[in-house]
Amino acid sequence: MTPWHRTWLRWRRQNRFLIGLYLGLLLLVGLGYTLFATMRSLPPEELTNRLLTFLLWWFDLTLIAVVLFVLARNLFKLALERHLGLLGARFRTKLLLSYLVLIVVPTGLLFVLGVGLLSHAAASWFSAPVDGMAQSGAKIADSLRAETEARVRRDVSIVARELGKVEGERARTRELTRLQALLGTQLAGWYRDGTAVLELVDPRQRELLRLPPLDAEALAHGGVQRERFGGTVVVRAWEPIGDGSVAMIGEAVLPGLMQEQGRLAAAAAAYERLKLERPTITATTVLGFGALALVVVFAAMWLGLHLSRRFTEPLLALVATTQRVAGGDDLIEVPIPAEDEVGLLVSSFNAMVRRLRERDEELSTTVRRLDAVLGAVRTGVLTLDAERENVAANPAAAALLGMPHLATERVPLEALTLAGLGKLAEVIRGASGVSRGSLTIYPGGLARAIEIAVVPLGRLESPEGWVVALEDLTQLVRAQRLAAWSEVARRIADQIKNPLTPIRLAAERIARHVERRTPDLETVVPQGCRAIVEHVQAMQEMVDAFARYAKLPPMSRRPVAVSDLVRQVVSLYEGVRKGVEVRFADATGGVEVVLDPEQFRQVLTNLLDNAVEASPPGGTVTAATRCDDGLLELEVTDQGSGLGVEDPELLFQPFYSTKGRGSGVGLAVVQRIVSDHGGTVRLEHNRPNGVRAVVRIPGGEA
Amino acid sequence: MVLGALLLAAVAVSELEIVLTPAPARLNVQLAVQGDLPEAWTQALGGGAPVTLTYRLKLFRNRRFLWDQRLASHELQVKAQRDALTGTFSLVAELDGEILASGQAETLDQAVHWVTHPPTAEIMVPLRHEPLWLVARCEFMTRYKLLVFPSTVGTAWVTRSVPEAL
Repeated sequence: MTPWHRTWLRWRRQNRFLIGLYLGLLLLVGLGYTLFATMRSLPPEELTNRLLTFLLWWFDLTLIAVVLFVLARNLFKLALERHLGLLGARFRTKLLLSYLVLIVVPTGLLFVLGVGLLSHAAASWFSAPVDGMAQSGAKIADSLRAETEARVRRDVSIVARELGKVEGERARTRELTRLQALLGTQLAGWYRDGTAVLELVDPRQRELLRLPPLDAEALAHGGVQRERFGGTVVVRAWEPIGDGSVAMIGEAVLPGLMQEQGRLAAAAAAYERLKLERPTITATTVLGFGALALVVVFAAMWLGLHLSRRFTEPLLALVATTQRVAGGDDLIEVPIPAEDEVGLLVSSFNAMVRRLRERDEELSTTVRRLDAVLGAVRTGVLTLDAERENVAANPAAAALLGMPHLATERVPLEALTLAGLGKLAEVIRGASGVSRGSLTIYPGGLARAIEIAVVPLGRLESPEGWVVALEDLTQLVRAQRLAAWSEVARRIADQIKNPLTPIRLAAERIARHVERRTPDLETVVPQGCRAIVEHVQAMQEMVDAFARYAKLPPMSRRPVAVSDLVRQVVSLYEGVRKGVEVRFADATGGVEVVLDPEQFRQVLTNLLDNAVEASPPGGTVTAATRCDDGLLELEVTDQGSGLGVEDPELLFQPFYSTKGRGSGVGLAVVQRIVSDHGGTVRLEHNRPNGVRAVVRIPGGEA
Repeated sequence: MVLGALLLAAVAVSELEIVLTPAPARLNVQLAVQGDLPEAWTQALGGGAPVTLTYRLKLFRNRRFLWDQRLASHELQVKAQRDALTGTFSLVAELDGEILASGQAETLDQAVHWVTHPPTAEIMVPLRHEPLWLVARCEFMTRYKLLVFPSTVGTAWVTRSVPEAL
């Protein structure tokens, strides 16, 4: 683009240029109007000047050519742009056609109407009455002149005849004087050999003496001559007398009348000329009117085209930029300065782009931070799309799953199955909401205990994606297991040590009495044996309980009517302990829940055992069940002395007992069964006294 | 056909007669319009309006290019106007702006005859070595078709070969 072109483009966008152009067009139209007005005031001779018609013709032709050129150029351009599918071509075509209809139709109608009115007006100028008046005026003048001619001819005949009767110059002079007075003629003359012998003039018409002499050749024969003289017409007639002399009579037609008649004749002549020039006048007027119409059409069309470009250019630039932005290009602004509403729109768009750019940068920063965090954390994170077909992972997850490429690329979820992680893929695919659980996977053949949490992104009904958090619990489980074994060993040792001491003491006492041969040997030996047997039996019970805890049967879930099951177990405890009432409150509505009934019966039995044992006489033990949102809740409350420990979690440890009796594995068994069912169990204080055990098992209704 | 014949009959076609008399380096052109003049023209003359018949004379030679063919162009204007007070017609013939002849006529017919049979026009003829043609027509007045398209009313163009001077 040349500098001149850039300057031209800048001018085109400036309002001053537009205003100047508009004023120029107004000036042109004003000049046209002035020309039209001047034409109206010009006399017909000038109005019908061929030069004006010629100039108007060429002006009209030039304007028509310019209008057609501009129109054809723009139409061709638009057709080409539409063919090429350029942006905005259709919009500009509609705009141009609308402008054409809005401009050409009214202007054309006005032109046709104006031309019709002009033609009608031109025709009405030359109406029949005016024609009649003009012709009548001419006839009057002709009649008056003819009547004067006839009178002069008659008089000259009389004078010639009478002069022919007398001889001699003096006698003819007297006779001519007498006849002039007798006939009352204004001019009387006697010519001989082409020369005036005598001319007599009425004293009131002395100016007739200045008349040019008659043509000598014409005097050879009789004749009549009409000539303008002194604002009137003088008629002179002459007739030969016979001896080479000629008598002449002249008369001026009434001067006042002739003056008026002269004006009438001039007007009639002008009228006839105007009538003859009527087509030229009409053509000139129509051409002038057409020139004005063409100027209006050209100005309006050119202005319309310019305005359409001015309006559409920023819009099209805006549309093009929005398409580029929507197409994924950089967030760019529209570089068009404007001050009107379009400019406001462009400014708003640019502000939006700037804000989006800032958000984009913030988002990029956040993503980088998140990547850094995800890369640094030891928790494995998997991200999946909404359909859970493709999966990506952070480095921790990739390492945990033994699939390093997961950290750098997104792979189908099926790839997990192919890598021997089908169970994990199945859990991810089967999650219907926020779900948590534990899982053992075997990446590379090595067992890894993981805790898994599957969380949908966005709304649960239509998630935008999924996030899976994987916590490697292998080391923790191993440590916990070791700790548990240590604890179990310690407790077993404690449990074993407790009965061993009385056994050892009983054995030592028997041995001492046997050595001393004491007299109460017979009493001591049975007592000691009984004590040993009792403690050995206690040890046997402890070993049995340990075996029960360690070897729970495999879980067998099936739909069970919980209310019937609980009611059946509760009925077994009625009257077990005197003064303690056992109640059952069912709010499940009889629904069936998927669980292992035998293990659940074990849970309920253990809890009721503790509750009944802890209840004072007159106390009440309540077992209550309800189902809410697919969650089975079982509450067992008593009115005993309470938990007895600050941390209720201690009560779930195996072989932990506050009662000083029993194996201490009841609540541990309860917790294990509930955990195997994916549920939770907790102990809390019951107000005002007692303990409330709350068991929650998911699995919902069958 | 019938309509065409009626139209041809309705339109009185005037013809231009040309008599050429050669003279050394000159050519005497005697022109005469045969036929009636347009009624509007004669009516305007009778009504006192100044009217004009324009005889256009063009001298051509045979050359290859059009712009090189025309040798000379002349215009003979015959003007007539009736004096409504005296009832006479004043007549003037001008060749290329110079008065060629003038006269008076008492009646409209005489005036029409004078203008349709103008005085002999004497035009210059250059020395030549090739044939010349004189093309002439008489223009009565200007009409307009569809209000604005000018159309000259007159005789058709008549072409005559210019005879050699003896």
